[in-house]
Amino acid sequence: MAKIYDAIIVGSGACGGWAAMELTRGGMQVLMLEAGSPVNPARDFQHKHLYDLDYRGRGNPGQLRRYSGDERNYRIMLDNSENPYTTAPDTVYRWGRSRVLGGRTLHWARASDRMADYEFKAASRDGWGMDWAVDYATMKPYYDRVESYIGVSASAEGLPQFPDGVFLPAMPLNCAESIFTAAAKSLGWPTTHRRLAQLTRMHNNRPPCHYCGNCVNGCDVGAMFNTVVATLPPARRTGNLEVRTDCVVAQVRMNNENRAQGVTYIERFTNKPVDVDAKYVVLAASTLENTRLMLLSHKDGLANSSGLLGHYMIDQVSGGGVVGILPILKGGPARLDDGKAAGITIANFQNFDQKSTRKDFIRGYVMNATGGQSEYPTIAAAIPGFGSDWKKEVKSRYAAQARVWIAGGEMLARKENRVELDPEVKDKWGIPVLKIHFTHHENDRKLIADFQQKAEELFRKAGGEKLAGPTRSTQRLGGSIHEVGTARMSVSPKEGVLNSWCQTHDIPNLYVFGGNAFPSTGDKHPTLTFMALTARGCDHILGRG
Amino acid sequence: MRDNISISRRELAILFAQVLQAAPEYRPQFFSAEDFAALESFTEILIPTDDTPGAREARCAQFIDFYVNASPAEAKERWREAMQALRTAGFHTASAAERPALVAAMSQEHPAHAAYLLIRQENMFAFFTSKPGTVEFLDYRGNSHNDSFPACTHPEHHRV
Repeated sequence: MAKIYDAIIVGSGACGGWAAMELTRGGMQVLMLEAGSPVNPARDFQHKHLYDLDYRGRGNPGQLRRYSGDERNYRIMLDNSENPYTTAPDTVYRWGRSRVLGGRTLHWARASDRMADYEFKAASRDGWGMDWAVDYATMKPYYDRVESYIGVSASAEGLPQFPDGVFLPAMPLNCAESIFTAAAKSLGWPTTHRRLAQLTRMHNNRPPCHYCGNCVNGCDVGAMFNTVVATLPPARRTGNLEVRTDCVVAQVRMNNENRAQGVTYIERFTNKPVDVDAKYVVLAASTLENTRLMLLSHKDGLANSSGLLGHYMIDQVSGGGVVGILPILKGGPARLDDGKAAGITIANFQNFDQKSTRKDFIRGYVMNATGGQSEYPTIAAAIPGFGSDWKKEVKSRYAAQARVWIAGGEMLARKENRVELDPEVKDKWGIPVLKIHFTHHENDRKLIADFQQKAEELFRKAGGEKLAGPTRSTQRLGGSIHEVGTARMSVSPKEGVLNSWCQTHDIPNLYVFGGNAFPSTGDKHPTLTFMALTARGCDHILGRG
Repeated sequence: MRDNISISRRELAILFAQVLQAAPEYRPQFFSAEDFAALESFTEILIPTDDTPGAREARCAQFIDFYVNASPAEAKERWREAMQALRTAGFHTASAAERPALVAAMSQEHPAHAAYLLIRQENMFAFFTSKPGTVEFLDYRGNSHNDSFPACTHPEHHRV
């Protein structure tokens, strides 16, 4: 008789890795299934300069659209030709994905922010959407647990809208960041260091950051949190974890007692379907892949008595901002300004309490700012002319580069923003792909416009000179790679797919970890909350929560 | 027994330089020999060699040729049009002394302005992603192992 695992975990990213660590330590026999291949950070992630690469980082121009990512990191991204998706006619959505052991933790921006009660209870404040089935008091111990383990370098500020946590020392600010901090303070805006799962000292056998600035191409030493260096090793040490890579899960199989029996996966290179069984099925692929699997597993969608599976897809707004120079830094000496790949955070300061309430839009956003020398001198294109004079202009402004961008801007949750199975298009393994319906709401546009105005105000206050030239569109959807929702959590089974433990209301042994549970996005980077929700859900599986 | 040839670092450097000089001329893959010579000259006017390296040391024209050759048909067509515009503007036949003024004219409203912008953009990319551009000209310090991150210690950067 085939082995029956205690749990099957689909996916190996932030949530899959965390679940594997918790469940194996809790004594469960776990099978982890990953659609992509394994990596070896020490071997696969090396410091490569652009001039070391055939196409200088752009990738082969004949294959540009095939991969998410660029020449340095496409191996830890995804081959779009094998894994297509479609969009509705009114939708322009760029879905950034990875299929690799470790998932997006291998190249994430590492931002680790706690959500606050004004976000968990946003609907009660302004009437839009639905409150979360958890609040800050419920989540706090899980945020504590995750931060203590992954290591977050940050500075405690005592801001009610940006809760402090268990922090390692913050990384120092560079010159541009110091100037922007002073500017924001003089405007009365709350600032702090970007909170990053990037170590400033030895932590849980992982070394501190060596400030190469190469994070999004994979960390060679594991100083930035990722599954492969941080959560899989302790899971493997229990002897309770089996990992199978290059296994594309095609559906969750049910038994006659309304319980998940296991999953069917397709071997990536042989196309052979394989059934595996378990007492619990944990979906921890990316948010939309989790929902795709639930849509694939039943004609009406698995665990979909609410009819809301696939609906209320949300993202955070991205794009816009200001690029220019801070003249005070002109002609400065060579410095390692981009070595931590970070910046400062200006916490949301609107619509979080009675006093800060705006009349013209609801919800808020977080800004980031940084500057100084960077691998590619982005300002060069904006300086007109040519010749030796032009070279001098570029060189003198190189140390003075500066930019302000939006980190997380809350988009409203709307039922019509949704995913469904495309009736025609299938992936390389014959599995129907997702079709995305996604547009901006008027409130999203107003919020972006307000951000743009505030970003320029900050830039002026810092004494900055805005440079002419192309600015990124503020209408880029998907650019933040913060897609959440589509199986929202609810107290009542009629109003959502998951309960507060991310267990499906309908099927007791089916859990969904990731962004699926989010009824609203808030303005924080979501990954820390994904992991905290996973920790809480695992407690529930283990009978501890 | 010692039959190794002993050679100083300086001698090695000289030898290396001689080998480089003796290297066969680059044979363009995409551009015709005349177009490639014109492109090389154009890139060296845009980013000249002065007290710091320029497009010549960075071999920008060679990278552009390599990259365009690997590009889809539409990109190749754009480059064919650009080189034709340069030809029509008389760049190919102009003397070295006349060329900078021609480039200056193209940088303004000019029939070959689109060609100027295309070459400027790709030349800039080629230069700033080359070792001479990144390391020698910009003195970029990143993508390296460091013990600490340099904090800003300037009082004037902590007030506005």
